[in-house]
Amino acid sequence: MTKRIVVISSGLSTPSSTRQLADRLAADSVAQLRERGVEVEVETFELRDLAHDITNHLLLGFAPPKLEAVLDKLATADGLIAVTPIFTTSYAGLFKSFLDVIDPQSLTDLPVLIGATGGTPRHSLAIDYAIRPVFTYLHANPVTTGVFAATSDWGGGGDGVRSLPDRIFRGAKEFAELVERTDRSELVNDPFALDRPMGHLVGGLAGE
Amino acid sequence: MQFGIFTVSDITQDPTTGRTPTEAERIQATITIAKHAEAVGLDVFALGEHHNPPFWSSSPTTTLAYIAGQTSTLRLSTATTLITTNDPVKIAEDYAMLQHVSGGRIDLMLGRGNTGPVYPWFGKDIRQGLPLTLENYELLRRLWREDVVDWEGRFRTPLQGFTSTPRPLDGVPPFVWHGSIRSPEIAEQAASHGDGFFANHIFWPASHTQRMIALYRQRYEHHGHGRADQAIVGLGGQVFMRKNSQDAVRDFRPYFDNAPVYGHGPSLEEFTSQTPLTVGSPQEVIDKTLGFRDYVGDYQRQLFLMDHAGLPLKTVLEQLDLLGEEVVPVLRREFAKNRPADVPDAPTHESLVAAAYGDAAPRQATPNPNRGDNLTVGSPYQDTPVEAPTSSGSAFGPAATRSTATRSTSIR
Repeated sequence: MTKRIVVISSGLSTPSSTRQLADRLAADSVAQLRERGVEVEVETFELRDLAHDITNHLLLGFAPPKLEAVLDKLATADGLIAVTPIFTTSYAGLFKSFLDVIDPQSLTDLPVLIGATGGTPRHSLAIDYAIRPVFTYLHANPVTTGVFAATSDWGGGGDGVRSLPDRIFRGAKEFAELVERTDRSELVNDPFALDRPMGHLVGGLAGE
Repeated sequence: MQFGIFTVSDITQDPTTGRTPTEAERIQATITIAKHAEAVGLDVFALGEHHNPPFWSSSPTTTLAYIAGQTSTLRLSTATTLITTNDPVKIAEDYAMLQHVSGGRIDLMLGRGNTGPVYPWFGKDIRQGLPLTLENYELLRRLWREDVVDWEGRFRTPLQGFTSTPRPLDGVPPFVWHGSIRSPEIAEQAASHGDGFFANHIFWPASHTQRMIALYRQRYEHHGHGRADQAIVGLGGQVFMRKNSQDAVRDFRPYFDNAPVYGHGPSLEEFTSQTPLTVGSPQEVIDKTLGFRDYVGDYQRQLFLMDHAGLPLKTVLEQLDLLGEEVVPVLRREFAKNRPADVPDAPTHESLVAAAYGDAAPRQATPNPNRGDNLTVGSPYQDTPVEAPTSSGSAFGPAATRSTATRSTSIR
């Protein structure tokens, strides 16, 4: 069965290094899953495109259609790659707002690969003190390696011993192992599941 | 099919004048609105319940009883009655009273509440919202159906030999709707008892409402109350009308932009495309409302929110004129077309009495002299206990496992 991975990038600029890291993490994860003979589909969403919908959801309590489609895909995914810039020592506000409108039960057992970007490597622990606890709270399953990319990692000034591609590979490997094993997308339980087509239930004009 | 209005009793600043009505003004305005609803030919007026400003309706039965005294045909309901934080004993008593003083022109809609602190204010835990709803309703049902109730649960002090007075009018409890926008458990609760289900989809996309109603219909049939398309469904709606569409949009926009719930969020255009809110001409309201049937099927009750967000009384009364004179007559005619004959109307006191007694005279509860002891002597009422003619059993809660009703003195 084809595994479904959702990629969430919370970068605000275009182009964005956050999106670039998200794409690298996704590419390595897909490559490793394919090596193991696992078919995989990836869908990437930029929270920037959903920013108004997310705010409206916070204010109104329901998701506009475009956001709802993303939330539905997330709830039934086999894996999530979540990448945010680090602003003021923590995840971006938009990233947290998105997490806040997710049904708290919909990420249970979901393998997660966390990525973050920032100006300097001094912020790299934000993954572990700020982002990881949120996924733990949601009973998701974040892999132990989180990948932080500082601005310098994109050029010669990055970590020369454990380079960004090395760290991406390692995170993607851990993630691919969990995604290969998970069966959560088959276990998703819809409380509104119907035993026959909608039209048969409502009858009358609507049933025609 | 029943048409009416509901109010949440908000006291909101009129954004076009900067003026906020006083509590006294809004309370009197609401009574005027209710009476006008009857005058323009509407069937139902439903009132919310809140226990914090800027709302005024903390004591719905007081208000509804007064309105009942000022009207003659208007059916009075709630939107909603808090089944979580109110004592079910007090609900049983208050609404049986309201049944008597209104001549049976009431029903009620149960909901869970809308502000977190209302739970601790009444000594409850919001995390127990659903268990409270289920347990309290089971007790409420018994209090209306059994003359003497022995009861013990998790959330309320036990009852031994308790009689809720007055007994329901003609021995028939008020019809109950269950309101919910997102909890499948509430659809299940309504379905299991064959009660009505009301989806207030005014802030909510049609697709959600459709799923909730479809689930309720499926479970209604499962529990043996009739076919899925015979379940008792009510919908909320919100409209603002002017003779022509552009005037409606222009006049309503400041109220929309500053409204307590959706203000400062989506644009009026986004919101009207995603929810049932209709701002336009009477014909547009007719078209959109008739469209509800396309996704929920033939239904029984349509309520509109008309006095929200600081709209002044004069405007609300004009809206009711348009609703009663131009919209509802067309809706009645169009909804009646192609409606299967065996899809029922919403139950009323008269229909419930007829269903319970047929041509026989309904029960008139007459108490015996009080011996101060309901526990060891027979019924506190003069009539003879008979088996309850109720067809709807309980699917969950303590009532589900009881083999026989304890000391049930029910109808007749």
